[in-house]
Amino acid sequence: MGAYLLRRLPSALVVLAVASFAIFAMVRLVPGDPVATLAGPDASPEARAEIAAELGLDQPLVTQYVTWLGQLAHLDLGTSYRIGGQVSDLVADGAVNTIVLTIAALLLAVAVALVSSVLAVVLDKRWVNAALSFGNTLAIALPTFVTGLVLILLFAVVFPVLPAGGTPPDGFIARPDIAAQYLLLPAVCLALGAGAALTRFLTEALRTEMRQPYVTTARALGISRRRIVLTQALRNALPSTITVLGIQFGTLLGGAVLVEAIFTWPGLGGLIEEAISGRDYPLVQVLLLLSVAVFVAVQLLTDVVHAWLDPRVRIGGAA
Amino acid sequence: MSESLIDVAAPEHAAPQPDEQFDQRRRPSIWSALRRGKGLAGVLLVGAVVALGLLAPLLAPHSPTEQIPGANLVGPSGAHWLGTDEVNRDLLSRTLFGIRTDLVVVFLAVPIGAAIGILVGLVSSWWTFTDVVAQRVFDLVLAFPTLILAIALTAFVGPGLRTVFFVILAVELPVFGRLTRTSVRTVREMPYVEAAHVVGAGSWWQLRRHVLPNSMEPLLVQLAVSMSVAVFIEGAMSFLGLGVRPPAPSLGSLIRDGVRNMYDAPYFAVGPLALVVALVLGLLLVSQALAEARRA
Amino acid sequence: MPDLEVSVSTPVLEVRDLAISFSHPRPAVRSVSVTVDQGEVVALVGESGSGKSMTARAVIGLLPDGAVATGSVRLRGEEVLGLPEAELVKVRGRRVAMVFQEPQTALNPVRTIGWQIGEALRAHGGSRGRAARERAVELLRQVEIPDPEERLGFYPHQLSGGQKQRVVLALALANEPELLLADEPTTALDVTVQAEILALLRRIRDRTGTSILIITHNMGVVAHLADRVVVLRQGEVVEEAETRELFAAPRHAYTRQLLAAVPRLPGPGELVQALPAEPAPDAVPALEYDDVRVHYGSRMRGRVLPAVDGVTLRLERGEVLGLVGESGSGKTTLGRLAAGLVPLAGGRVRVGGEDLAAARGRRRVDLRRRLAFVHQDPEASLDPRFSIGEAIREPLDVHGVGSRQSREQRVLELLDAVRLPASFAGRRPRELSGGQRQRVALARALTLEPQLLIADEPTSALDVSVQAEVLELFADLQRRLGFACVFISHDLAVVNKVADQVAVLRAGKVVESGSAARVFGEPAHDYTRRLLDAVPVPDPTVRDATGPALHPHVAAS
Repeated sequence: MGAYLLRRLPSALVVLAVASFAIFAMVRLVPGDPVATLAGPDASPEARAEIAAELGLDQPLVTQYVTWLGQLAHLDLGTSYRIGGQVSDLVADGAVNTIVLTIAALLLAVAVALVSSVLAVVLDKRWVNAALSFGNTLAIALPTFVTGLVLILLFAVVFPVLPAGGTPPDGFIARPDIAAQYLLLPAVCLALGAGAALTRFLTEALRTEMRQPYVTTARALGISRRRIVLTQALRNALPSTITVLGIQFGTLLGGAVLVEAIFTWPGLGGLIEEAISGRDYPLVQVLLLLSVAVFVAVQLLTDVVHAWLDPRVRIGGAA
Repeated sequence: MSESLIDVAAPEHAAPQPDEQFDQRRRPSIWSALRRGKGLAGVLLVGAVVALGLLAPLLAPHSPTEQIPGANLVGPSGAHWLGTDEVNRDLLSRTLFGIRTDLVVVFLAVPIGAAIGILVGLVSSWWTFTDVVAQRVFDLVLAFPTLILAIALTAFVGPGLRTVFFVILAVELPVFGRLTRTSVRTVREMPYVEAAHVVGAGSWWQLRRHVLPNSMEPLLVQLAVSMSVAVFIEGAMSFLGLGVRPPAPSLGSLIRDGVRNMYDAPYFAVGPLALVVALVLGLLLVSQALAEARRA
Repeated sequence: MPDLEVSVSTPVLEVRDLAISFSHPRPAVRSVSVTVDQGEVVALVGESGSGKSMTARAVIGLLPDGAVATGSVRLRGEEVLGLPEAELVKVRGRRVAMVFQEPQTALNPVRTIGWQIGEALRAHGGSRGRAARERAVELLRQVEIPDPEERLGFYPHQLSGGQKQRVVLALALANEPELLLADEPTTALDVTVQAEILALLRRIRDRTGTSILIITHNMGVVAHLADRVVVLRQGEVVEEAETRELFAAPRHAYTRQLLAAVPRLPGPGELVQALPAEPAPDAVPALEYDDVRVHYGSRMRGRVLPAVDGVTLRLERGEVLGLVGESGSGKTTLGRLAAGLVPLAGGRVRVGGEDLAAARGRRRVDLRRRLAFVHQDPEASLDPRFSIGEAIREPLDVHGVGSRQSREQRVLELLDAVRLPASFAGRRPRELSGGQRQRVALARALTLEPQLLIADEPTSALDVSVQAEVLELFADLQRRLGFACVFISHDLAVVNKVADQVAVLRAGKVVESGSAARVFGEPAHDYTRRLLDAVPVPDPTVRDATGPALHPHVAAS
């Protein structure tokens, strides 16, 4: 198992290294000069040079990159040019909100997918399948910004029962009931697409498993369909579902940007928009790198979980 | 039982015998899936939206940028079916012209991205070295969530329709490149490709005559999926202010305007929302119908 | 059914006038009646499309969706056909159990053997916990798996194919069913393993008195195991008889044809065929393997295993070299090597005196023109998008031979040569049967008049009667056109029918080679003899003479 992780690690690190350089280089090549933006239109050339030196922008690109990597290694993320304050503080504040939102959506999506696909396959009724397929197609077909608007219109404007946006004023811990109210609409909105995609995949995977010869063996032994689905088919469909879940996580991260904008949820999505429009280099770099790092880490994790769930990978063949 | 002797003598010249669990009916082309049920519904939805977009100059009562005196944020009425916006423009006209932006993205950007992706996937997968390089590059691009990639690219080239175009190319290229590679890998191992290889057919022959035609179906399904994703990307980018620049309309930018005016004019975004849903749903239904026909 | 023996006790299984139909026109089973008595082994024999598997599935209530069955299926007099699922669950496994063809996929890959046996016991409220474990060990012992306690924690992929089939058998026996249905239980196994499983089935019947209904296409298996035989053809019973009687005096023409189509090996005392004329020794051979080696597994992962390990063989022009061996012997790799489909790790392969791997550019193309390859799988050997005519014409198109008209003419000649009507040129592969498709593959291989044809198990996916025809066609074409051929097969009798020379392979090495008549008639090597002995002889008198053929110690492998 450790050996497996060791085999996968280099390629993940390569992706991360190349991505970090690409991000670093790309951000510097962007038209729009942060020195000019910071110093203002009337600044003297000396004042501009001073600001540039302070930011390290007068150094060659590679030197800047190495310096930046060194700082990253010490978790010194630098100072924001425009928004002000430590990048690490800004990121930490936004990250809490985004993580809460994403995890809530992920759990919701997984719960919906597990319940509905298992139910559909166990019951194996024409109308259940039709209803599920209809709901699924609809959930996938409705873009996040559409469902978000519809949810707000319905539950905050027409029937004002839930807040239309924002985060709970007392934080997530102090009043969980309030927090849940604030979280409900954005989490549902974010979870809908991923949950539908996951349901679709898991249902199809379970059906495929139910056509496998080992299921016929089990049925010929007099084991009930329900039991076969729960103890055998699901267990076999799990590894590939985990992989799909990893990919869906990326979709969730991207969707979070949108959902945060719709529900005025102050997370990393808003921060990255703000940072890019303000040419805030240190912040942009860190945020982009963070998103890639999270994605790579999730991929690695799903690969490892996948391998661990499959005894053919976990225990090599003996025969 | 004596009649059975006749076809024992010449069983191979007789009509093919169906195997025990095997239905040998000739499988119709997967296109026929678009002439019934789900597929037909999808084609009709997409066709309707496309027709509205193409006929916009004929159907629209006003120019999309014309400011009509005295009609500020009015609701739906006989004069303005979808109402007007905050700078007195007719929303129906803007919506109809807005469809055209999405059509460019769906029927131009996606096929171009797909074509390049297929070509790259096809060529790179034939040699181990290029294959590894291409796969790593695809990994890298796909490691960025689409919207984050879109935001990063906007920082590079500025907002606008061009950016939407680039984002879609950047997203679809690796998707099709990867899918093509998988298909190529599967098909080139097929005995009929090996048989051609053994008698001396070159790589190009194998790719053109066997591999590409037999990889077409999954690519076609993906094309429909990607087209629906493209509508989503355009909408999301315009929604975030990264898409088309005002005053040009697109479905996404109209929805963005609708959100701004949500409390004053709740029905503002209904038209564009419905069209976006129709387009995405239609393309999705087409892709599902094609995928099901392929599996049958 | 006046010819049925009337027994005092109710038969374990009684199928009467069973008919099964699907939505498409021809019914899968038209009218089948079968009876199995206590402790009896009955064989259902037939080719594909005979309805033998469907009959078995109807007995255990596992017909595919959309199948409609009529008639009667009684277990000890109780009707089970048409029982609701909730009732069928109680019958399956407890009263009837089933063993399937493909042991590689019949077990759940992510659950241990012990868990799967436990699940089978739980399904019928059997023992749990410690008692279940003891029962599982006992079952594994019953199917003669060594170290049963340890094996309980194994996953299926840790077992060999034969052991997996034993586990499937253990699952089936878990709840002591009265009737065991065995659907081609040895078809996917190597001959030596097949012999062990057949012997085990007999011992289980002798020890437990379980009745067995075995479904098979293999007359050798029938002769080896069955007490009584029911021959099916296109969903109807053609003939039913005691095994000895059926083999000695088949009454129906179809049975006679089936028996005649079975390729046979020469018996121990039989006359060795006359040797074919030796070719001039100085002629350039059609194919030479010179100390060739092939590795599989990647060097990066550090596991390099030899697939072919120092093989030297020589095939003269116009001769057929049969490569035989069990799975993993390297026979297929050797064939693919001659076709240039596998990279060589060492040694040389020369086709017509020229090194295939070293040839470049024009020479390589010219060299390839002399080669052709016929694949095992008739399903996949033709591009589904090409018409039959296009498929046969492809080699001509590749090399730009002749005009369009002359190419079409050649297609018609070739179709005629493989005895298919000219009208087939416009058809698609889907519209053809497996045997027809293999003929087309053969025609395509012969398009450029190759000097060397490599045929990898070309008939193993075909029914016996179709196989017999394709083999006869092949032999005829080979004589007429005089190409050399590497003929790969796991079936010794098939190779015996077509090959001049034979090489017996085991674990990538040549165990023995020589003329087919000599190797099969007077095998010099012990392994060759074991292989030959394991082939079930389609003659029940041989079984009775040798008794339970195999020693229990072989089971440990």
